[in-house]
Amino acid sequence: MKERKNVFLPIIGELVLTGGRPILAVVLALTVGAFLIIAYGKNPVEAYAAMLEGAVGSRAAIANTGVRTAPLLLGGLAVAFGFKAGLLNVGVEGQIYAGGAAAAAIGITPLPVPSWLHVTLAVIAGFIGGVLWGVIPTLLKAYRGISEIVITLMLNYVGIHFASLLIHEPSPLAKIDAFYPQSPNILPSARLPVLIKGTSLHAGLIIGLILAVIIHLALRYTPFGFRTRMTGQNPEAARYAGINVKKQIIIVLLLSAGLGGLVGTGEVLGLKWALYDFFAVGLGYDGIAVALMANSNPLAVILTAFFFGALRAGAGKMQVAVGIETPISQVVQALAVLFVIAIGFGERVRRTRLERGQEPEQEAVAHGG
Amino acid sequence: MEDSLGFINDLLAASIRLAAPLMLAGAGGLFTERVGIFNIGIEGTMLAGAMAAIWGSLVTGNILMATLIAMLIGVLFSVLHAYLTITRRADQIVAGAAINLFALGATNLLNTPLYASFKYRPRVDLYPILAPESLQEIPILGPILFAQPVIVWVAFVLPFILAWVLYRTTWGLNVRAVGDHPQAVATAGISVIRLKYTGVIISGLSAGLGGAALAMADLGLFAPNMTAGRGFAVLAAFVVGKWNPIYVAAACIMFGAADAFQLRAQTLGFAIPYQVFVMLPYLLTIAALAGLVGRTVAPKTIGKLYDPETI
Repeated sequence: MKERKNVFLPIIGELVLTGGRPILAVVLALTVGAFLIIAYGKNPVEAYAAMLEGAVGSRAAIANTGVRTAPLLLGGLAVAFGFKAGLLNVGVEGQIYAGGAAAAAIGITPLPVPSWLHVTLAVIAGFIGGVLWGVIPTLLKAYRGISEIVITLMLNYVGIHFASLLIHEPSPLAKIDAFYPQSPNILPSARLPVLIKGTSLHAGLIIGLILAVIIHLALRYTPFGFRTRMTGQNPEAARYAGINVKKQIIIVLLLSAGLGGLVGTGEVLGLKWALYDFFAVGLGYDGIAVALMANSNPLAVILTAFFFGALRAGAGKMQVAVGIETPISQVVQALAVLFVIAIGFGERVRRTRLERGQEPEQEAVAHGG
Repeated sequence: MEDSLGFINDLLAASIRLAAPLMLAGAGGLFTERVGIFNIGIEGTMLAGAMAAIWGSLVTGNILMATLIAMLIGVLFSVLHAYLTITRRADQIVAGAAINLFALGATNLLNTPLYASFKYRPRVDLYPILAPESLQEIPILGPILFAQPVIVWVAFVLPFILAWVLYRTTWGLNVRAVGDHPQAVATAGISVIRLKYTGVIISGLSAGLGGAALAMADLGLFAPNMTAGRGFAVLAAFVVGKWNPIYVAAACIMFGAADAFQLRAQTLGFAIPYQVFVMLPYLLTIAALAGLVGRTVAPKTIGKLYDPETI
């Protein structure tokens, strides 16, 4: 009895504690969204009902939501995991293409192995592609102290265009005489299995869910996780405690980049079945939003990725049913993130003030000086 | 010979034309990093500025008013960024990413209403080309300077004005100091918070102007996500240009030239794949940060939270 408590309660308790702010933010965002819908001269209740139906109202809708959740989940995990060690991986956008390209390279090559092994190898290749894309920022961060933020950001554009280079002739990854630049199709043996028959929901979602649980457990219950969290919370103290901070940064940033690579891997092996130009625009930056909404908690990332995925999936139905265009889902997401920032960090400031026993008035004077 | 001169003239003209929005956004944009605030929201702010410019032109029919409206929208976005990062102390990258997401969503959403009352998408007035024909035909100088719309002239002049402000005025000295040593500035009795807000707002004005140039220099219309990463190129230009307005403008011209080369490589079939030209400036930026080419040092407190209580 006691053991159960120890394992399960903290998880639930933590979700409830960290859930308050994002839920409030989502409510506020949906409220503003409702006013926008009214401004369009439509009924917000009808619109949201259509959105809900489009997100979870049928087998096809749930599959659609799952398809959109998968890359957000993996991308959110990539950012959240890095953030736990105090690292901000802004380079998921580029890692997507590196991972996608590596997965495609294995996926289009006929191998004398069973299908389950072929697809596994392709997924591993995608992960490694992401890791390789993370090598430069990792080395610069660990050995030169150069911020990973700008480097990963710059590598995004290199990654996008490098993948483009790979699918244009005379690259070996290019499909000859293709109407639109692309790699040859992924062989059926290397495609991620479909979860719901007749839909495009693929196993990328399962990979994301499993990884979310693994990362949560690793961060919470292993020495590795302890070292990672220490590095993120206070690198100086971590160093004093005998933790090799440099090594920790190297491992976490490379793994984070690998997770970024898996985003592209899932899209290429599960959904697109080929590598295309610009096949995942903006997904990397969405990962930052997802991780933030989840307060970098890997289990909460599942929920926020699902929420964003459902918004996107439902927006299509809403457009057909009430005539509000799909970008409304992007606006609501952005508002939710903005509200989380505005609510959350204010709370933190107030808390530190209380801890220090200072009156806000006194501080206003200090600010003025 | 005639042909190659024509090609060079054409290439130069295109390089400058493509660089102008970056130069405009970059000139003021570097002030946000100078005061220690990363603003990756410049991308979204430019996009919103581009749409605001087109909307302003459709409504007022006046290109100057349209430009001012774009700059006003830029200010609104930057005030939001400043409020979140300075007052609410949010992470700067996260706030910027949220602003980009918002700008992309909002402009996508408003794209249809923007042109709702028109059957065909009209092209709004472009910034006029003021120089007489005879000047435009001067080799090299003609295509760079005279065959360009007036907004390009602004893009050339603005960095010099802002460099003067940054290096020759007391306020500029404060800006340069606050990114490196905010505590010292605060000790001197100057409001760090106000300096930071002003720096971010200048970047918004500038990004709005850059967006206006993007929309009204040679297109005259808005297209979804038309910035396509130009705001991030500006961030790279800060690094290569060492946060100096004039060098940053030069770095922006390099990005413009890479873009011009890339477009020609696609149509003319160069031996070098066109993607290489697009990647080069970003690789150069990484090399500059890594200390491989020259030495570039970011403002010391960039990206960090300013906490007045640690004085």
